[in-house]
Amino acid sequence: MSRELHPEDIGDLCLGAAYFGAGGGGDVHFYRLIAERAIRRWGPVPLVRPEEIPEDALVVDVGESGSPIVGLEHLPPENHGVELLRRYERFLGRKVTHLIACELGGANSVVPLVVAAACRLPVIDGDGMGRAFPESQMMTFPIYGVAPTPAACTDFLGNVVYFETSDAHEYERETRALVTVMGGSLLAMDHPMTAAQVRETAVPGTLTLAQSVGRTLREHRGGADTLAPALAAHLHGTAYGAVVPLYTGKVERVSRRTEGGFDVGEVMLRAFEGAAPPLRIALRNEFLVAWLGDTVVATTPDLITMVEQESCQPITSERIRYGQRVSVIGIGAPRHYLTERGLRVVSPRNMGFDLDYRPLAQE
Amino acid sequence: MRLGIDVGGTNTDVVALDHGRVTLCRKVPTSADIEGGVRQALQTVFHRDRVSAADVDAVIIGTTQFLNAIVQRRGLARVGIIRAGAPTGTSLPPMTDWPEDLVQAIGGKAEMIRGGHRYDGRELGPLDRAELDRAIDRLAAAGIRNIVVSAVHSPVNPVHEEEMAAQVRRRLPECAVSPSHELGGLGLLERENAALLNAALADIAPRVLASFGTVLTELGVHCPYFLCANDGTTLNLQSVARHPVLTFASGPTNSMRGAAFLSGVSNAIVIDIGGTTTDVGVLRNGFPRLSNTVVEVGGVRVGFRMPDVLSIALGGGSLVQNAGHAIGPLSVGYRLIEEALVFGGSVLTATDVAVAAGAAGVGDRSRVAHLDASLIDSALSRIGVMLDSAIDRMRTSEQSVPLVLVGGGSILVRRPFASVGEVITPPNADVANAVGAAVAQVAGEAEQVFVSRILTEEGDAALEELTARASRAAARRGAAAATLRVVDVEHIHLSYTAPPMTRVRVKVVGDIDLAAGPLADSANRPRSTAT
Repeated sequence: MSRELHPEDIGDLCLGAAYFGAGGGGDVHFYRLIAERAIRRWGPVPLVRPEEIPEDALVVDVGESGSPIVGLEHLPPENHGVELLRRYERFLGRKVTHLIACELGGANSVVPLVVAAACRLPVIDGDGMGRAFPESQMMTFPIYGVAPTPAACTDFLGNVVYFETSDAHEYERETRALVTVMGGSLLAMDHPMTAAQVRETAVPGTLTLAQSVGRTLREHRGGADTLAPALAAHLHGTAYGAVVPLYTGKVERVSRRTEGGFDVGEVMLRAFEGAAPPLRIALRNEFLVAWLGDTVVATTPDLITMVEQESCQPITSERIRYGQRVSVIGIGAPRHYLTERGLRVVSPRNMGFDLDYRPLAQE
Repeated sequence: MRLGIDVGGTNTDVVALDHGRVTLCRKVPTSADIEGGVRQALQTVFHRDRVSAADVDAVIIGTTQFLNAIVQRRGLARVGIIRAGAPTGTSLPPMTDWPEDLVQAIGGKAEMIRGGHRYDGRELGPLDRAELDRAIDRLAAAGIRNIVVSAVHSPVNPVHEEEMAAQVRRRLPECAVSPSHELGGLGLLERENAALLNAALADIAPRVLASFGTVLTELGVHCPYFLCANDGTTLNLQSVARHPVLTFASGPTNSMRGAAFLSGVSNAIVIDIGGTTTDVGVLRNGFPRLSNTVVEVGGVRVGFRMPDVLSIALGGGSLVQNAGHAIGPLSVGYRLIEEALVFGGSVLTATDVAVAAGAAGVGDRSRVAHLDASLIDSALSRIGVMLDSAIDRMRTSEQSVPLVLVGGGSILVRRPFASVGEVITPPNADVANAVGAAVAQVAGEAEQVFVSRILTEEGDAALEELTARASRAAARRGAAAATLRVVDVEHIHLSYTAPPMTRVRVKVVGDIDLAAGPLADSANRPRSTAT
């Protein structure tokens, strides 16, 4: 076993995960507290690298979906996921051996830790996106052939629904509809996988990476202008591509509206001085495309990340405000998304933009 | 006439407002016991300025005493909380993210029982009455006399909180009970936090009110008096006794309300420069813009909205170092009149630079005659950059807005600003805080979650009902009913709800009802909340 996650690891992990969320994932304050408390109560959570997973393992993705406003009142029970796991195992007819996160960014990076602590299961050091995206068919697991079902989900009162759907899109549609019926928040276990499937499909090492990047963001001095080399050092040799500073400037305009359950809009940045053209970023929960003047400089699935210029704190899309001084840094997407199969799901064209994926330009 | 009093960290200011004009203002040092300074300020007005106590219609006091009690963990009552909502929320019990010393200071005991509601107002489960009785027994056995009751989604449906409160009152008639929905909207933990801090002030609130009452009575003032609230409005004594937390942010709010009144401008950026810090805020329709993010008080996130104020470490006492390239964050603070060069001290402060530049006529200018011109220039430029950057961060658009300068430190400003239009330094700018207190009105709020379709079809009726509720709340706080007007209507759509739901919040504001009766009238006395 390589290592364990302790309560004091969670703060940096959440900070780093918020960064990799590329604008998405939402506020993680409550889940940070819940995870710290769960680990203090039930003990540290073992973290297992994909290559260490035993061959007879059964790995399951666990995550929550729900309305952020409902989430202000409707918080999880203390033994979150314990009963769901018992019922899900009965449905599968097998014992689950490991849990894995569906995405990096926001609450879902730590939900597996909360559930794993209460269920006394280890968690895989990796996840199904290596960033945040709004829908479950955008995860690397289904892209590379892992069926989302059999799956089971529960509200926070113990009601359970089981799924066997034809494909990932159908699963996404059904869970989304269920959220509203089941009180606004639900916890799901899905994408049951073998060790080989995890090694083939998951973005590896991302929890450890989030923690080290989180520590760097917390400790880094000298502003975001000098952040890129520190990030590159962490990302070197991982599934991610190059780190490319894109822009430093001031938020000059934010427009945002809710559309079909998504936060949709645009952010415009202006350079502090000089004649550099403005940077425009389109968002749909996450930052998806960036234009410098009229030129596309970054597109999904590459990560468009934003930090406050002085403090290096990651900025999620709902926290952007006029006048903020920010740095925008591009990170090459995990290689899983850059194949034909990956781009078929998460390219800009598939996310509603009239343009094709364009890799980050490296200086 | 009305008297507005601001109890600041250094000075207690008093202004008289007569027929909409500031007729006099006085400053005295703040006393350790607060009411001593207030007494002295009023005595000055009555004796030196020959104002007759009988001519005073209302006294409005802005004080941060309750905030300071929380921040300094001083004189806090022991508090317990019973939350209905289990099994949901048991992962995050009340006070989970509080500083440990504050939990200790209030001896915080938390109980979680079944009950609470969903976002659409349906029960999560029935309220567990047997568990409720056992929880009450345990808190009583621990000697707790102040109990907060909270329930999941109580702002949508308060019936469980109301039933819990009634049961606590029945079982423990000597206890004070605070239902959380009286102190916040959606956001369970923040709402509980506000209610817990509020309950912790249960012992101090009546003491503070009684001591102000005694001072006024001694000086022959028999008109009603009020305290200032977070949003630039006033609270009558019953409201303060019940909800002392609502006074927490009155300081910055009053300076902005005072700036609006003195300048006659209702949409502006306001800069209040003090001895150690500068507060930058935004006036919108005469009221401070409120923060959209969660605010912290004494290390605790609270649910109510506070003015959106950016504080930077720049003031008249800020240390000037590095040949004028570094200003602050250290400051000589209230020791300015001993330590600054122009006052015969040995520390180079921002005030010295302003005096040397001829921008201010305080102290002895000859003591800064030796300062290098380039140092003065660098320091003033640096101050300009700090203020410009702060102003810029508070703006919401490129549009040029006027800037109102208040506070004693406004001498530091070398105009013009790169980032704003007109700069206004109104008369009496150094007592804007007390003016803000004097002009305060009374507000009431109501909020409810509706099925969005109902708002489309019968939105007017729904709004009318909410406005009526907000107006009743304002009347309870001492507003004259005929003067009430709606100042804010807010719609927030809740995602993932079926049928789609919308939360609507209405705020009304009106004038103080001066016919409410004299101070001696028992109706205007604080209710005793503790024995």
